[in-house]
Amino acid sequence: MSAAIPLPSDLSPVTVANTASLLRIIALALISGAAIASRLFAVINFESIIHEFDPWFNYRATRVLTSKGFYEFWNWFDRTAWYPLGRVVGGTVYPGLMATSGVIYNFLHALNLPVDIRNICVMLAPRLQCPDGLGDLHVRVFFNHTSCLHNFGFRFTKEMKDESAGLLAAAFIGIVPGYISRSVAGSYDNEAIAIFLLMFTFFCWIKALKLGSALFGTLAAVFYFYMVAAWGGYVFITNMIPLHGLVLILMGRFSSRLYVAYSSWYAIGTLASMQVPFVGFQPVSTSEHMAALGVFGLLQIVAFTQLVRSHVSSKQFQDLLFWALISVGLLGFLAVVGLTYIGVIAPWTGRFYSLWDTGYAKIHIPIIASVSEHQPTAWPSFFGDLQFLIFLFPAGVVHCFQQLRDEHVFVIIYAVMASYFAGVMVRLMLALTPVAPVRNGARVRGIFSLDTRLTIVGTAFFMLAFFVHHCTWATAGAYSSPSVVLAAANPDGSLHIIDDFREAYHWLRQNTPETAVVMSWWDYGYQIAGMADRPTLVDNNTWNNTHIATVGKAMSSSEEVAYPILRKHDVDYVLVIFGGYLGFSGDDINKFLWMVRIAQGVWPEEIQEPNYFTPQGEYRVDERASTTMQNSLMYKMSYYRFAELFGGKPATDKVSIAFFILLLANMRAVSLDEAYTTENWIVRIYQVKKEDVLGRDLKSANAFSQGRKRKRSRPMSRRPPVV
Amino acid sequence: MLLRPLLALVSLSLLARAASSDETHQKLVSLAAAGGGLIKLDSNSFELLTAPNRDWSASIEFTALDPRRRCAPCKEFNPSWQAVSKAWTKTPKEQRDKHFFGTLDFDDGQAAFQKLGLASAPVVIVYPPTEGPRSKGRTEPSRYDFSHGFEAEPLAEHLSYHTPIPIPYTKPFDWARWTTVAAGFLAVAVALRFIAPILQSRWTWALITIVTSLVMTSGYMFTRIRGSPFMGNDGSWIAGGYQSQYGQEVQVIAVVYGTLGFAFIMLTTVIPYQATAQRQRFQIYLWTTIIMLVYSILIVLFKVKNRGYPFKLLL
Repeated sequence: MSAAIPLPSDLSPVTVANTASLLRIIALALISGAAIASRLFAVINFESIIHEFDPWFNYRATRVLTSKGFYEFWNWFDRTAWYPLGRVVGGTVYPGLMATSGVIYNFLHALNLPVDIRNICVMLAPRLQCPDGLGDLHVRVFFNHTSCLHNFGFRFTKEMKDESAGLLAAAFIGIVPGYISRSVAGSYDNEAIAIFLLMFTFFCWIKALKLGSALFGTLAAVFYFYMVAAWGGYVFITNMIPLHGLVLILMGRFSSRLYVAYSSWYAIGTLASMQVPFVGFQPVSTSEHMAALGVFGLLQIVAFTQLVRSHVSSKQFQDLLFWALISVGLLGFLAVVGLTYIGVIAPWTGRFYSLWDTGYAKIHIPIIASVSEHQPTAWPSFFGDLQFLIFLFPAGVVHCFQQLRDEHVFVIIYAVMASYFAGVMVRLMLALTPVAPVRNGARVRGIFSLDTRLTIVGTAFFMLAFFVHHCTWATAGAYSSPSVVLAAANPDGSLHIIDDFREAYHWLRQNTPETAVVMSWWDYGYQIAGMADRPTLVDNNTWNNTHIATVGKAMSSSEEVAYPILRKHDVDYVLVIFGGYLGFSGDDINKFLWMVRIAQGVWPEEIQEPNYFTPQGEYRVDERASTTMQNSLMYKMSYYRFAELFGGKPATDKVSIAFFILLLANMRAVSLDEAYTTENWIVRIYQVKKEDVLGRDLKSANAFSQGRKRKRSRPMSRRPPVV
Repeated sequence: MLLRPLLALVSLSLLARAASSDETHQKLVSLAAAGGGLIKLDSNSFELLTAPNRDWSASIEFTALDPRRRCAPCKEFNPSWQAVSKAWTKTPKEQRDKHFFGTLDFDDGQAAFQKLGLASAPVVIVYPPTEGPRSKGRTEPSRYDFSHGFEAEPLAEHLSYHTPIPIPYTKPFDWARWTTVAAGFLAVAVALRFIAPILQSRWTWALITIVTSLVMTSGYMFTRIRGSPFMGNDGSWIAGGYQSQYGQEVQVIAVVYGTLGFAFIMLTTVIPYQATAQRQRFQIYLWTTIIMLVYSILIVLFKVKNRGYPFKLLL
């Protein structure tokens, strides 16, 4: 087909090639710049600080790694987490992220660049975007026909077209909010590095498959190993590649290229992945990994058939062979099922079930269902994260199906799986994000007249510009909050920083003994360990459901029940998050029902969710709240002395717009003392009283020390019991 | 010497109460046997069953099955209740008689509903024993939590905490389901020859892929998992708020995405093959207009969900 605008004929091919590569380099540099810049909103608006919850643990682990060395880190037993159980960190962590930071740190220090480890951690995610753009370019070049560039009017050469398509995809992935959400500066989390590794593993796999190259198969395995070391989501690769192989076999596309690529990836990748202590022997003993093993076996069988078939010509023998192989395959499958049944191979874990049977998690593992990242995705989130990439999907799919080579099959499978998983869990949106740009794109060519050409160019330019605005808006507004530091607007529009969390953690650090055990809901465990450096009962690792349920029970029971629990666990301080004064909706009262549910899962006789609702079935916190609710430790700790702020007027909770009148005035906990409350009342810390030295119960001891005589309860009947 | 007659009186009344308690128990046992393990209660027998001095435990379903009461959840829950109480009859007699299952319909015992302040149904309340070896100090009744759903399995599991031995409930074999599955497989196997050309066409699969990903990205799984209603109570079809949506939105949004996608496919694959410049021009303008219009509608919808969204297109 003729180009819409003819190429200038007076240029030498060398000039064209050189210009093209210069333009390409400039474009890539600009894309990297844009990608990094849009991730720096958080640093500019706030400061260079680690965000959210999990990154605090990663940061703490990285500090151990850089200060004490790799072997210390590997054998690190953290006594302060999960008090009194402790946590074997080396064996329960994906070390890829920390190792990466450690290498960068040591490299920079070898060059005599004394960069603080915190800044390395904060900036790691944005810095990775630069190679990511490059990596993506390669993937794109590779998928060259998968989608083509908005080639409106000018085309240099065929080669150039494909690489420009790669550039466009690199630009999309550089600024798409769905990915930025996990890779802003300060979001020092496994996902930040893992998505880059995911893309690169897939790139190597496609390349290996296309060339039938054991070298690229091995490279895929090496990056797979890196991915396994970095993020639990590696299971996605472990199942995507076998699925791709299986579909290719079913389509009758078995080839020696597939055999070589898959075998080299599987053999080396599996052996390598078993070197990560946290993974260990899982690749041969859990159901999640059985698909990869099964396809590996299937490939051997099919390859063997092909081989024999090419040497033996007898029809009967071939038939015999065919059926023999089918039965071998079936036997193998039955063997796996049998081994699962008798328990050699672990069945699928609850987390895995909850991806398919969506009701599973809510009933059986409330702790998974309670995490906000594990909620299903409503359509505005999809649109907010991907914008016009969503509806370019169909066009991309049609292009894939037009070509339908092996690599297009991969993109199609990826797209279907990723859109399903992204719908089930917000968190897996991340897996969808890379494929969206790869799949889309459109080429309009062979346009005859100038006005229509302008229309098309104008529309495309407009949509791209809108996309950029949308991405910037979403990134700046939604994804750049550190959540450790909150921001509000003053009446005059200026930024007001709310720094209660750090205030409270700092107070703990400065005013309590180093061995003081702090109890809080598990969300804040990593932050307390990272910022206050105090032992915690539970943290975001959530490996021990019973321990978490114990904390839930203490929070949701009355003082008489809770106090022995607190004392038995040596708790010195209890920390609660209270948003009622400021209108901060992510507080503990909002999460309270999850504490109740998780506790109910372990003590169904003692804690019952309906008791925390009013008879009408409402969840209320004001004076109409149920008695169980009002007596719970969490409720008392949240609203203690809250009424004093309002000087006699009804106290108002700004989150739930509830009015309190009498209730709060005489509510106080006898077994706890208020130790510290931050400026905006967001964090409240209570000190647990020790048992009275004279052996009185705390109520009478309190009354005595306040100089009040405790009213005696009615005297017991002296009459002897009658039988 | 006033004490002695008093003592005698007290012990006498206690004896009488014990006797009446035994009597009540016998009565309940026969009632349960008559009802096939489930006592159909009215206000009087409810008082008997929940007598303040009891060495038995009881779980009672408060329901309103009369069609006039229009209680759909009651009807939904009732089979599970029946199945669990039926399963309890399989236990040995000595254990069986220590726990009773009862059903109190609103129309048979309004007084009991009022006494307990029940404003909705179904409700399951478990009354633990107050006397005897099984009473553990907690005598106040507890409610069953319906957050596990109306199914019999979690119900049996939960009630087993209160019964002397666990309820031997097993899920009945679902013949209907397995027959359907088997029939489906058979039908596919038979029809395979005829539908093979369809299955082998790549465009069938393209259609499946596109529809699947559009439906998924329109939030279908959200409505499945959360059980969102098809539309709001007030008849609105779009839910305000970023993290919620109704069933109807899935359809609307999927159609919007589909239209936009189709327009793009037309622009990229069909237009280059148009024969004359005139037809090409017409099509380009047509599809560009459609894209801009539908995109604007999409932005308007997004603004409904996210009020702070600062951008707008034509509309």
